[in-house]
Amino acid sequence: MAVRRVARVLGWTLIGASLLIFAFLGYQLFVTDLIAKGSQQQASRELDHWWTEVRTTLPSPQIVTTSIPTLPQIVLYPEEPVDEGKSFARILIPSLEVDEVVFEGVGRKTLKKGPGHMPSTPLPGQPGNAVISGHRTTYGRPFYDLNELAPGDLIQIETAIGIHSYQVRESLLVKPTDVWVTEERAGSWLTLTTCHPRYSAKQRLIIVAELVEGPNFEYAQVVLAAA
Amino acid sequence: MGSIWGRLPGPFVAKLAVMVIVIVLVLLGLVVLFEWAGDLLDSGGAVG
Repeated sequence: MAVRRVARVLGWTLIGASLLIFAFLGYQLFVTDLIAKGSQQQASRELDHWWTEVRTTLPSPQIVTTSIPTLPQIVLYPEEPVDEGKSFARILIPSLEVDEVVFEGVGRKTLKKGPGHMPSTPLPGQPGNAVISGHRTTYGRPFYDLNELAPGDLIQIETAIGIHSYQVRESLLVKPTDVWVTEERAGSWLTLTTCHPRYSAKQRLIIVAELVEGPNFEYAQVVLAAA
Repeated sequence: MGSIWGRLPGPFVAKLAVMVIVIVLVLLGLVVLFEWAGDLLDSGGAVG
C-alpha cells in the first residue's frame, strides 16, 4: 500500500515537473517574443513621431579646424543624449533581415523591448565606440543570427541626424565580464553584443564594425588619422 | 481540486474569491520564477 502511495506521489510530481518545464519553455520561446513584438510595434510608431519633432530642433553642427591642408575644416553633427528606456534609433542588418527599434539603456527591463544602447558609450554615428546589446534567443531574438555576420557585411543605424553605415571588421567571443570591448576607440565604431552560445548566457558574441558612411564619416576619419 | 474546494471555509463566493487569488498568486510566482530562470538561457547580451 505504501509503495503504491509513493509511486502515485512520484508520478504526480513528475507530471507536475514536466508541465512546469513545458510552461517555462513556452514562456521563454513564445510569450517573450509576443511581449517584444508589441513593444517594437509601439516603439516604431513613437520613433517616427519623435524623429519628425526632434529633426526640427537638432543641435547646430560644429565646425572643427584641422591641420590637414586638403581638409582645413570638418563638420561634426552632434546628437543630444536620450532618456533611459526611450526609443531613439533603428538598426538594420540587411544580410540577416534584422530591422529593430533601438532603446536607450541595457537594463533588463529595456532589453525586453529590443536592442539597447549602453548609455556610457557614444550614440551611434558619433565618434568613439557605440555599444548596442540585444537578446539572442528570447524577447524577439533580435540578434539570433549575429554569428553569421562576416567581415564586410553592412550594419545600418538610423538616428535623428541620419543613417550611419558600418562595415563588420571582426567578431569575437568573450566572457560576460569583459568590459574592455566597450572601451573608447579612435574613429567611429559600433560594437554589438549578445549571448553565446544560443540558449546560454555563458559567453558574449561581439561584433565590431567601423563607420564607412554617414553624417560624421569625414570627422571620424580625421580623428582616426590623428590617433 | 475537489478536495481543496471542499476544505475551503465559507460560502461559494468566498471560496471562489480565495481560489482566484491563489491562482493569480501562483501564476505571478511562475512568471517571476520563469523570468529569473530565463536569465540562464539569455540574459540580454550586455557585458559587465
